[in-house]
Amino acid sequence: MSERAMAVPASALEAKEQMTKAFRKKGIMFAVASGMCYGLYTAFMTQGMGSGIWLDWYGGAVSTFATIYTLSALGAATNDVFSAVWALIIAAIKGKLSDFGRSIKTKPGAVMMLAAVIGGPFASTCYVLGLQMAGSIIVPIAALNAAVGAILGKLLFKQNLTGKMILGIVICFGAAVLIGSTAFGDGVDFSGGTVLGMFAGLFAAIGWGVEGAVAGYGTAMIDYEIGITIRQCTSGVANVIILVPLLSLIGGDGIGSGISLIGQAFSDSPSIMFFVISGFFAVPAFSFWYKGNSMCGAALGMACNGMYAFWGPLACYLVIGLFFGVDGYAIPWQGWVGAVIMILGIFVLALAQNAAAKKEAN
Amino acid sequence: MKPLNYAILKYFTKVDEACADDVIEALKPEYGNFKMLKKPSVIEALMTAEQNGLIEESRFDMDDNGELRIFYHAHEEGKATINSYIKD
Repeated sequence: MSERAMAVPASALEAKEQMTKAFRKKGIMFAVASGMCYGLYTAFMTQGMGSGIWLDWYGGAVSTFATIYTLSALGAATNDVFSAVWALIIAAIKGKLSDFGRSIKTKPGAVMMLAAVIGGPFASTCYVLGLQMAGSIIVPIAALNAAVGAILGKLLFKQNLTGKMILGIVICFGAAVLIGSTAFGDGVDFSGGTVLGMFAGLFAAIGWGVEGAVAGYGTAMIDYEIGITIRQCTSGVANVIILVPLLSLIGGDGIGSGISLIGQAFSDSPSIMFFVISGFFAVPAFSFWYKGNSMCGAALGMACNGMYAFWGPLACYLVIGLFFGVDGYAIPWQGWVGAVIMILGIFVLALAQNAAAKKEAN
Repeated sequence: MKPLNYAILKYFTKVDEACADDVIEALKPEYGNFKMLKKPSVIEALMTAEQNGLIEESRFDMDDNGELRIFYHAHEEGKATINSYIKD
């Protein structure tokens, strides 16, 4: 701080401290809300993929490969397309549509698109591949994305990362492992497929870490609601035009089969409403994540967002379990305890970051 | 015409320092009809840019209306980053 600042009245100093505090609080609120919306989007997408024609598909109407891989990509594709439409509508209502058109042709726009492809089709496919090949062991591996984001924030964008902040990240990670541990099977065998699957989980963590850090930084240049419109349009188009047909081709079903699945998914009335709703929640799930990361740095932003590990099962329990009466979605004690530990980790991280920011300012 | 956020950042590469009111005044002729060219949104954009190291605080005081006024300045590195991402 310059000497000139020292000469300002106490009222100005107090007002500035309050403004800084309010800004940080708002950033944390955005990041936490992003995790909640992530949970809701997951719940409605899961319900969509368990209704209508999806029941036939998962019941054996498509090949084994398609059941494992193509349908997961198709679920993401359907969600992302509706999400892109919602993002465009919201941008139009807020008068940001013309800026969206101007932003996509620029360097920050291209960076956001790249982040969207890495975090969208790439990381999501790695995650699904990992789940299929290695099972739930990859859930905590993928939860490393917050740590990857924090490290990238430090390396690429010179954001703060102190020892105490790392402690907060480790606590959050431990909590995510505890929450995810209930899904573990009887044991993990370290066969070739399992190891490959674990690598796929690691790639998912890296992909999401890159997206969180890079798009968070990008949100300092591009408005977050324009950023999310770029993300969902890119991810939706990439999933529909490239990923689903490509997976159908790899699986030996032919591109035509993939295109046919897309057509059927979008014209299936029993499931489509769930994707319209999941697409709606996916908008704040990602845009608040970007905005939270840009306001409080990738380390804290991604840790707050990381509570999706709890919000996801909770939303599934509320929406699918309680509202639609499907069994098997109750949250075990590990979920509740993990959530409390995670809040503690976020608290440690937030305080440490606050201390680091103050130290830097002095 | 650039997106509004770009114009806000670019403005700092052309002046020594500026506060939110200066930014709004300077961009009003071209962006006056933008809903986001309001003081709270501009302040948030400036604080986000500061958080990400694009600009830094140079000084602050109270204006004639008794409102806090923070001035920001783009250091050389910030200017270089802004100029490399956002062309004229």
